[in-house]
Amino acid sequence: MRGLSGGRWRLRHWRLQTALAALALAFAVSLPVLLLSVGGGVSSHELANLRSTGFEVSLSAPGEHGITGAHALVEKLAGEPNIAVASPVLSVPVDLFAGTSGPVPLLVEGVVPSAFLATLPPEEAGLFPKPLPLGDPTDLVHFDHGTYAGPSAGRILISSPIAYAHGLTVGTPVRLAATPDGVGAENFTVAGIFGVPPTLLGPTAAFAALLPLSDLQVLTGYARGPSGDVIDAADTVEVALAGSAATDPGAVSRVAASLQEQYPFYAVATQSQTVQQAERAASILTGFYFALSSIGLAVGLLFLALVLVRRVEGMRSEIAVRRAIGVPAGQIARELAGSALLLAAVGIVGGMVLAYLAIAALARFGSPTVQAAVELSVYDPTTLLLLAAAVLGLGVLSSGLATRAALRIPITETLR
Amino acid sequence: MSGSAPSPATEVYLDGIGKTFHAGRPDEVRALRTVTLRIEPGEYVSIEGPSGGGKTTLLNVVGLLERPSAGRVFWNRTSAEGLSERARARLRLTGVGFIFQRFFLIPTLTARENVEMPMRALGRPAAERRSRADELLGLVGLSGRAGAYPHQLSGGEEQRVAVARALANRPGLLLADEPTGELDRANTDSVLDLLDQAHRTTGASIVVVTHNPLVAARARRHLAIEDGQLVRDSASE
Repeated sequence: MRGLSGGRWRLRHWRLQTALAALALAFAVSLPVLLLSVGGGVSSHELANLRSTGFEVSLSAPGEHGITGAHALVEKLAGEPNIAVASPVLSVPVDLFAGTSGPVPLLVEGVVPSAFLATLPPEEAGLFPKPLPLGDPTDLVHFDHGTYAGPSAGRILISSPIAYAHGLTVGTPVRLAATPDGVGAENFTVAGIFGVPPTLLGPTAAFAALLPLSDLQVLTGYARGPSGDVIDAADTVEVALAGSAATDPGAVSRVAASLQEQYPFYAVATQSQTVQQAERAASILTGFYFALSSIGLAVGLLFLALVLVRRVEGMRSEIAVRRAIGVPAGQIARELAGSALLLAAVGIVGGMVLAYLAIAALARFGSPTVQAAVELSVYDPTTLLLLAAAVLGLGVLSSGLATRAALRIPITETLR
Repeated sequence: MSGSAPSPATEVYLDGIGKTFHAGRPDEVRALRTVTLRIEPGEYVSIEGPSGGGKTTLLNVVGLLERPSAGRVFWNRTSAEGLSERARARLRLTGVGFIFQRFFLIPTLTARENVEMPMRALGRPAAERRSRADELLGLVGLSGRAGAYPHQLSGGEEQRVAVARALANRPGLLLADEPTGELDRANTDSVLDLLDQAHRTTGASIVVVTHNPLVAARARRHLAIEDGQLVRDSASE
C-alpha cells in the first residue's frame, strides 16, 4: 500500500503544485499585459491627437494667461513669411445661467473666430459649424484697437453635452459670469452647437463653450489690468504655417527659431517638440508600468522558484537515485530549467488570455471613462514578446535555486 | 539483445580503504577501517554483517558513490582517486547498475520510462531506448506493464522494474543493497532468479549486500564485515 497511496498522492501533489505555479505566473503576467495594453493604447491615442493638430508652432508664457497684447501679436505674426494663420486661445472657467438654472460650471475658450478652425485637426474642426457663427470674424470690431468699445456680437457656441443637459438650442439666451454668484454677468445668445470628440477626460472637457476672445477677456477681467491698462491676455498662440513649410521639419524649426528670437520672453515650441516631450513622458509611463508590473512578476517568479525548490525537496530520493545512477548534474539542471520554461510559457499564455479577458470585462462593465480607455487598448507584439522573453529568462534564472538545491542533495544519505 | 555490446565485467580492487564520517567531530563514525579486497571480473559476491557494520558504505565505495577517507579504489586496474565527480558519475552511468532496497523508481515516470532513464542520460536514441526497455521488461516478466506508473505496481513488480533499469546500460558491475528487503518470499525468489539470470547472461560482476541467508546463498563468494572490517572472506577459506 505504501507504493500505491504514496505514489499516487505525490503524482497528484506534483500536478497540483504545477497548476498553482502556472496560475500564479499567469496572474503575474496578466498585470503588465493589462497595464501596457491599456496604458499604451491611451498614450498612443493622446500622441496621435498631438501629432494631428492643425498648427506647427505654439507660443506660450509661464503663469496664468501670460501672453499679453494677443490681438497685436496675432496681427504681427500673420505678416510673417511662411505663417498662414495665428490663433490666440484664452481658456477660463466661467459660470453659465440659463433660464432658472445655474450656475453651471463651464470651460470657455476665447478665440478669434476666423483663425480658430485653421489650427484644429481636420476631424475636430469637422465638429464645428463653418464658419464659426460668432460674428466679428477677426474679433477686431469689438476689440477696436484695444478700446473694447466696439459692439459685441454677444454670441456663444456651446458643446452638445451641455446643450443636451440644459435644453439649450440655437437662439436661447444665456448669461455668463466670472463667478458663481452671477455678479457682472453678461448676456449672450447661443449661436451654434458643436460636437465633442471622443475624450478620456469625461464631462469636464465636454462641458465647454467658445466665445470671441475679446468677449471672454472683458467678462473675466483679462482685457485690462487693475490700473485700466490693456493687457489683452491669452494663454497660447497657435501658429499654422503656410504651404510646404508646414510639412518641412527644417522650415518649422527655422520659423520657431525666428519667433523665439523675436519673442524671447515667450516659450516657442514646435509641435514635433511637444510630441517628443509627450513621447518621452509616455515612455516614462511605460517604464513605470514595467516597474509596477515587475513587482507582480517578481512575486510570480518567486513563487515559481519556491515551487521548483519544493518540488526538488519532494523529489529528493528520485534526484538522489538519478545522480547515483550517474545522470549528469547538467541534465538535472537542464530538466529543472525546462520545467521552469514550460511553467513560464504556460504562465505567459495564461497571463495574456487573462489580461485579454480582463480588458474585455472592463470594456463591458467598467465606468464610461474606463470603457473609453479600454477601447483604446493596443497589443504591441514587440512589447509582448519582450515581456515574454523577460519572463522566460527570469523563469530559467529562478530554476537556478532549485538546481542548487538538487545538486546539494547528499546521495548516499538520501538513499539509506 | 539489441543495441550496444555489454560492458566487460568489472574488476574492483580496494586498497586499504577507510571511511570516516564527521571526522574530528563528537559524532565521528569510522564506517570502514583499512579494507583491502579484490572482486574479480564476473564474480558474484555477497556482503553480510550486522547493521551499522559498514556493508552499505563498502558498497557505495565500490560503486564510486562515496570517496574513501583513506586508501584507493581501482576499477579495472585504474585508480578512481583523481576522478572528478563528473567522471565518476559517467563511470557509474556506463559501468554500474544499482538496485536499492526501496526500489527508488521515479513515481512520475512509467515503468518503461524508468527503464529508459539511464539510457536517456547516456543520450541513446529514443527508438533504441524503447526497444531495449521493452526487451528488459520482457526479461523481468513485465511486458504488459510497461505503461504502468510505480504506484500501480506491486512491490515485487517495482523491484523487477528496478532490476531492468539496473541492466539498461549493460553494466559490468551490478550492486544491490538489500534488494529483497521489502519483498515476500515469492518475490524474493523471483528477483534473485533475475539476478542469477543477469549474472549468467551478461557475465557482470555482482555484489549484494544482505541480511538474508537466501540471498547470500545465491552468491559464489561470501564476505562478512563487522565494525568496518572484513572479518570473513570465503575465497580465502
